Parts: sequence; structure tokens; C-alpha cells
Amino acid sequence: MSGQQPIVLWLRRLRVLTAKELLQFIRDPVLLLFMLWLFTANIYMQGSSVSMQLTSANLWTQDNDRSAASRELVSRFRPPYFRHEGEIAHLQQGLQALDRGKVMLLLDIPPNFEESLIRGEPTAVQLQVDGTHSVPGLLAANYATRIIGAFGLEQALAREGLAATNTDTLPLIIEEQRVWFNPNQKDTWFMPISELLEGITILSILLPAAALVREKERGTIEQLLVAPLSPLQIMLPKLLAMTMVILVGVSLSLFTIILPVFEVPVKGSLPLFYGVTALYVIANAGLGLLAATLARNMAQIGLLSLLIVAPIILLSGLWTPPEAMPDWLALGTQLSPLRHYIDTAYGILLKGAGVDLLWDSILSLALLGAAIFALSVTRLRRQFG
Amino acid sequence: MGETALVTDAEPAVIRVHGLRKSYRKRLAVDGVDLVVQRGEIFGLIGPDGAGKSSLMKTIAGVLSFDAGDLEVFGVRLDSEAAAERIKHRLGFMPQGLGLNLYPELSVEENVDFFARLRLVADQELGERKTKLLAMTRLDKFRDRPMKQLSGGMKQKLGLVCTLIHEPALIVLDEPTTGVDPVSRRDFWMILSELVAEKGITALVSTAYMDEASRFHRMAMLHGGNVLATGTPESIRALAPGSQVLVEAEQPLAALACLRSTFPQVEMKGAYFSIFVDEAEAGRAKNLVQAALSDLKYNVLEVDAPELEDAFIALLRRRGLVSAVSEAPAPASSQQAAPTPQPGGETAIEARALTRDFGAFRAVDKVSFGVSPGEIFGLLGANGAGKTTVIKMLTGILVPSAGSGQVAGGDVRTGGVAIKARIGYMSQAFSLYLDLSVLENIRLYAGIYGLSAKEARSRIDWVIEMAGLGGHETERPADLSMGMRQRLALGCALVHRPQVLFLDEPTSGVDPVGRRRFWDILFRLAREENVAILVTTHYMSEAEHCDRLALMYAGRIVADAPPATLKHEVENEAGRLLELTVADAARALALLRGAGYSGAYLHGDRVRLLSRDPEGDSERIHTLLEAAGGGLPAASMHTRSLSMEDVFVYQVTALERAAQGAPT
Repeated sequence: MSGQQPIVLWLRRLRVLTAKELLQFIRDPVLLLFMLWLFTANIYMQGSSVSMQLTSANLWTQDNDRSAASRELVSRFRPPYFRHEGEIAHLQQGLQALDRGKVMLLLDIPPNFEESLIRGEPTAVQLQVDGTHSVPGLLAANYATRIIGAFGLEQALAREGLAATNTDTLPLIIEEQRVWFNPNQKDTWFMPISELLEGITILSILLPAAALVREKERGTIEQLLVAPLSPLQIMLPKLLAMTMVILVGVSLSLFTIILPVFEVPVKGSLPLFYGVTALYVIANAGLGLLAATLARNMAQIGLLSLLIVAPIILLSGLWTPPEAMPDWLALGTQLSPLRHYIDTAYGILLKGAGVDLLWDSILSLALLGAAIFALSVTRLRRQFG
Repeated sequence: MGETALVTDAEPAVIRVHGLRKSYRKRLAVDGVDLVVQRGEIFGLIGPDGAGKSSLMKTIAGVLSFDAGDLEVFGVRLDSEAAAERIKHRLGFMPQGLGLNLYPELSVEENVDFFARLRLVADQELGERKTKLLAMTRLDKFRDRPMKQLSGGMKQKLGLVCTLIHEPALIVLDEPTTGVDPVSRRDFWMILSELVAEKGITALVSTAYMDEASRFHRMAMLHGGNVLATGTPESIRALAPGSQVLVEAEQPLAALACLRSTFPQVEMKGAYFSIFVDEAEAGRAKNLVQAALSDLKYNVLEVDAPELEDAFIALLRRRGLVSAVSEAPAPASSQQAAPTPQPGGETAIEARALTRDFGAFRAVDKVSFGVSPGEIFGLLGANGAGKTTVIKMLTGILVPSAGSGQVAGGDVRTGGVAIKARIGYMSQAFSLYLDLSVLENIRLYAGIYGLSAKEARSRIDWVIEMAGLGGHETERPADLSMGMRQRLALGCALVHRPQVLFLDEPTSGVDPVGRRRFWDILFRLAREENVAILVTTHYMSEAEHCDRLALMYAGRIVADAPPATLKHEVENEAGRLLELTVADAARALALLRGAGYSGAYLHGDRVRLLSRDPEGDSERIHTLLEAAGGGLPAASMHTRSLSMEDVFVYQVTALERAAQGAPT
């Protein structure tokens, strides 16, 4: 031992242990690949494949009228939203296809459809929608309603002798939409970022936990415990190293996928985003380390982290906004670090918000993180103290 | 001699191996092995870690394919998967590792039943065999206990029961006794010897414990994938003729230097030196040693035939396979800096009525002892006796429930960080970072203990040299031999020049050559740098290296004395060890037990017992065996000096008996 300043010694230990964690991470091919996958390929795939928009919903028709009007109605179901795949002779055929999931929409036009329209009588068409996947089902039904409604309105106007383009004389309310932050409502802006946040969430729990469990598994934790190190000194380097790893991963996905491929415009300050991300990682890492004090091996920590990640994401509002949850659950969202992180991350990246607007979320994140981390250090101290 | 008794010419060999080769990618594991095992033999495979024992056994068991050569088991040539399947019903295989072939969540009985059904054993036969085997292994009281809650020794016995449940004609056991305490180990061997004698089955067994090799009928010594020698323990011992001289000297370091310059194989055993003198009978060996030590004050205690382990090492040495057993002295740290300052108190470690409870279970019960600087103190005990818990309390990982302790001048309850900076600790698993290189591992600990860059450099050099790791700096520990890994772990624990060193079963899985080298380093640390060393071990031959031994039983220390004193105590109490060489050992054993020698046990093909009146008993036994007729007269009978294992087993069984008798 050398007679050095305690603080110098403390920092030197922090440095060597952090360097050790980084080396170990780089030499673990599985974790390394997992991280690279989550931050690159996974984001690319989610961004380009998963869409909340309605695309190519297939439509079968049973046209019992075979008139100009019926053909006109069918032709209005256009790509890219719909794809008309053809006609069927019997309703039974269509119902079977619906059951098998081969078709999404089934439009049944009754005989005398055109005649009724000309005669000025109300008429009905039947639309059957496969609602198994609720979002596209809902969208398909909505779009179809709008198409059929507009067609009906035009027919009605035509009968009154008015051209569909000349509606100035009618008391119609025209809706003028203005969508902020993502004016074209592009999923390719929203999805990759939401996937990035998910990736950060998973890794920030798993990586520090894996780093601690690996030591328990190998027995090296005992070697550290008999060395003059406090539990905090054992935990902190793992936290630090894994935060660095995740920030590198975030940069990787921002600068190789999200910005160049999906052309997401980053409106706010990147340094602020990195800072908040670091804060978020530390909060989650506390949870991961807490789980690591319970797990005995890597397999267990893998399962435990699944168990932690699921509620964090569910409660975060990443998939469902808290407003849509039951009251008690909505209150619970305050406990998910991701809830506060989402507010700030989207705020910075898409809205260009700064600390002046986001301070409350950042503060909540910091408080939550400090509480969780303190808990996990206490738990480690109790386990090995 | 066992050979002729067991083998009739007409009987075909159970295992016949010729020119067998097996390699894993580039690494050659088995390099042209020839071997013949006859029916009814306990055939041993001995050799250092990486000699090819496990690969050879797996090939014979038909679970590993081989590259070249011939292999016949029960006369069936194992040249295909299908051929291997044909012999599997007559074979039982127990892989290396405590309870690795068992299911931890299943109870003892469920494990046995599972293996029986897997082997299609009929229910009635299963019932009979299970009752018998569980009684024999004394597991019948624990039928409902989940396997994971058994001790190491019990796991191995259960493993043996599961291997035997389908009554195989050949059992292949890969290091069945590694990590098992001496009492369980002796039990294990007794059961095996009795089964082999009774059922005529054949056993192929490997071991890392040299002192167990004398229990084999015949054995093969493996090294680097080759068979060095095959034969009975006696004939192998005869390959390296010489004598073993035990010396006590007043100035151990000077004596060591003198002896080392003359004899290539010198070992420190506590306060004594054990010298292997090549090619010399007792008288000449004594003279040679006396000549080497002429200037010093010394005392020759004993001249004896060498133990098998010494002969094994001598053989390796003569064949040039071990560069030097008495390695060039490890460089003393004092070359680089002043020796470690003495700790504040007179004792380096002091435990005063240390107690630790886990719930209702008292793991350590009022343990008191003291270790002085420069002393090597051994803590012996069966699995679960509380050794590791004691170490954990002294190193500050566990807080004692009661009692107190001083380590390196600090109180274990309050001195935490100060103590930790002055002690070194090495656990049984050689807790190294497997993903860091040799150098990175040492550098990490240098950093953790806060060494300055300059200090760190000189200490790293010291560790590399001490551990003989030159040229391996960038390798990962997983690629090193167990011996090197062990010395690296020791180096990491020593990087900050601790005053007190704790070693928890430091030599598990390390071969005899590596173990000697390790003890050499410990001896120099204690004698030259005054480091106090506390070590726990299962290897009884190692316990003799300690200056003082404490025997733990059920959380308490039941004996605390130098090894020689412990032996004398047992000899005074229970008598001398009498060994009997006889043609039909199993029958002789039955006769002896019937005649009231209840402590008699089988040791390979010999019968051993403790006798207070060796001469009288010899005569009585002679008469007894001759009266039995049928060619039973004992070929020879002589007394042996007690080994540490005998002492341990005697003490623990006495305590077990007392514990069983007390409550009722």
C-alpha cells in the first residue's frame, strides 16, 4: 500500500475497475452482438417494417349488382391503402376466407344497388372487416366508412343536380388539419425512436446486471469483497462502464440508422439528449443491479430482466398513452423511469424542447434513479456486508 | 501380485486399447495409448491435469469418438456409434464433477429410480438393489432429501449408486473423489472395493489424489496423452528406486539451500524436510543427506520407502517430463523492497470464540485459535464443517454472530477496510477473470489495491516470475494448466504484499507436481517474508505441510496441534496401523470383521486395521486366516506409520459415533 490521498486512490480504483468492465464487455461476443443488433439492425427493421398505417389491406367483393355505380364504388378502394383482389360468386366463399385470415375486407353490394340510388331510395352495402389486428382493422373500417360516405354524398348531390366539385352553396364543415412535430405523421420517425428507447431500456437493465452476476457466477465477487472496496465502489464502475457502452450504442444508432436512413430531423440539443439518456440508464441500471443481487446465474438474470422490462415499457406509455389507462394504472406510470424518459426524449428529438420545458420530467427521472440506485447498493451491502 | 490372483488366462480382457489417439482440433489429448484391463480389477488412471485421463475414459465409455487406433470393450470393437450402443447396457459411466450426472431437484430415491427406469430395471430388482446400495452408502436415511442439499461426499456416493443400479459389468468413474472430504472418500473406496470383490465387476477409475493410487489393483500413469508406466502400485514404485529421508533442521532456509543444491526433489513438510534420494537404499540415503547438511544443526528423523506420489514425481523427473520439481527459488519480494512490516500484535490472526449462525443452524461454534507471523496454519474438516465460514468471518465478508477476532492488527468487526488492505485471499475456484489475460488480471488487482505505477510494475514482474508465467502474459487463464491458474490466482492475492494470506482449498484439481510447486512458494512466503498463512484443504497429504493443524467438526475445533503431535495422539489412543497383504482380501476382511476387528477396511487389495498390540494381533490374524483354509494365509503383514488421512478419519468417525450416541 502506498500513502496516497484517499480521493486519488478512490479514483484510481474507479478507473481500473471501469476499464476492466469495458474489456470484459468487449470480449463477450454474445452481449456485444446483442447490443449491436438492438441498436442497428433491430431499429432498421422496426422502422421499415412495422407501421401503424394502413397499407395494402386486401379487399374481396361480391357484386350482385354489376352496375356502373357498384363498379365505381369498388374502384374507390385504392392503393396504397387497399388492394382489390377480385370478386367472389358466393358469400360463403368470402366468409371462409375471412375465417382463414386470407382477406381483410369483404364488401357485399346488393342487387338493384344502382337502381335504388337513381330512384332516390336509401340503400345499404355490407362491409365485413377482420378485426383480429385491432389497429389495421380499425383503420380499414374507418377509411371504408369515409369512402362509402363520400360516395353516398356525391350520389345524393348528383341527384339534386349539383356537381360534387361545386359544394360552395352547401352548409358543409370542412376540416383543416395541422399536425405538429411530424407533419406527415410518418411512422418512420416515430418507430425508430421508440425502438431506440426500448433498446436502451433493455440494455440498461441487462448489461449492469450481467456484469454483476458474472462475478457471482465465477466467484470473483468474493475476491472484490475481500479487497478494500466498498459495495458502492464495486457497483459504480459497472454502472459507469455500461452507461458508456450504451451511449456509444445510442450514437451508433443515431448516426448510422436514425438520422441517415430514416431522415429523422433532430430538433433539440443532442448533448441534452445524451445527458438525459445517461440519467435514465443509471436509474434502470439500479433496477438491474437489484435484480442481480437476487439472481444466481446468467440464465436467471436473463429471465428476471424480462420481468422488469415488461412493466417498465407497459407503464411508460410507449405503446399506450397513460390517459387511456385505468386511473390506478395511470398513477403507476409515474414509477416507470421510461415514462419520464419518453417525455424528454421525444421532447428533445422531435419537438426541440429544452430544459426550460422538460425540467420536471428530468427532475423526476433523477429522483427516481437516485432512489433505485440507493436501494440496490443497500441490498448489495446487506447481501455481502 | 493382485494380477495373478484375479486373472485367469482364459478370460478375455474387459478393455483392450491399442494405439488410441484423440485430438480436439489442434490439441492432441490421447496420443497412442495401449492398455489392457482384466475382469474384476480396479484399474486406476493417474496423471497430471491434461494428461488425457478424461478423454480416454469417455472414449472407453463410448461417449466420445476417437481418431485412430483400436478399442475393444467386452470384446466388441468400438468402431461405430452402433457398436458403442451394444456395450452401453453393460457399462456404467460417472463423469467428472460433483453430482454432475444427477438431477439436483430430484430426491435421492427419485434419482435412483430415474436411472433404474432409464436402464429398464425391473421393479422388484430395483427395490432389492436400491435397499442394498442405499444402506451400503448410508444414504437410506436421506431418501427424500433433494440431491442439491447433499454434501459433496454424499453426492458422489449417490452418483455411484445411480451408476451401479443396472448392475453393469464395467464402471468407468472419472475422478469420483475430487472435492470430497477424507471420510467420505474412504467410504467411497470401501464401497467400491467391496462391490468389485463381491460382484466381480471391473472398475476403471481416475484420480488426482496420489495417495489413493495405492488402492488400485493395477494402474496406468498418464502424461501428455501417453502411458508412462503400467503395473501394480508396487511395480510402479519400483520404477523410481530410492529412499525418502525426513529431516528437521534448525535453520530451515539455509538447510533448504544446501539440500536443493544436492538433491533435485526436496519438499517442505511443516517443520521438516522430506528428501527423495535417487537410487539409494536407506543407509546410503541417510549418509548422503548427512553429508549435504554437514555444516548445519539437523536431526534425521526417519528413512523410509518413498510414497507413491514421490515415486511418481521422481519418475516424471527422470524421464525429463518435469523440468525441475524443486523449482528455482521464487524470487523474494525483498529483492525489490523492504520486507513487509510486522503487524501490530504478536499474532497475525486471532479468533476468539467466533460464532456464526445461519437461521437456526450454527455453522461455526465458538472457534478460537491463533496464527503467528510466518506460520502455516491448516484448517481441516469435512464438507460443511465450517471452514469456509471461518475464513469468511476473518476476511470480513461475513459478520460473526458472536465472538471476536483480530487479523493483521485490526478487529474483524470494526477494522474492515484496514484489514482488507493487509490480507490476501484466494478462493477454491481460483476466482480469476477468465476474459482478461494473465497480465490484465494481475494489473487489475494491482490497481484495486492502489499500487503506484512503479510499484505495480515491479510486483507484476515478481508475480510472473514467481508463478512461472513468463511467456504466457497475454494468454487467458482458461488456456493455462490448472497449476498455472492456481499460481496466477495466488499471485493476484499477493500483489499488494499482504501480511496475512487466506487460502480456501487452494489446490483442488491441481496435479501433484503443481501442488508441490505451490507449497514451495507458500513455504518461502512464510519463512522469508513472515507471512501468516491460513489454509484449508481436503488433501491430507498436504495437511502435513502445515506447521500446525486444527481439525474442525460440526462447526467446532476438536484438535489443534502440529501434524506429528496429532499422529502421536492417535497412535497412543488407537494403536498402530497394521497392513495385511492377502490373496482374497474380501474374504479375509469378512473373516476379520467376524472375529471382532470391526475397524478393518479394504485398501485396494490390502486389508488395514488399527491395532494397539500389533504383534499380538498379527499372530492372532495369522491363526485366524490359516484356520479358515482355502489358501488364505496372509502373504505379509507389517505396521505402517499413520498418514494424516488415518488421523483425520479416526478423529471424525470417533466424533460421529459420539454425536450419534449422545442425544439418545
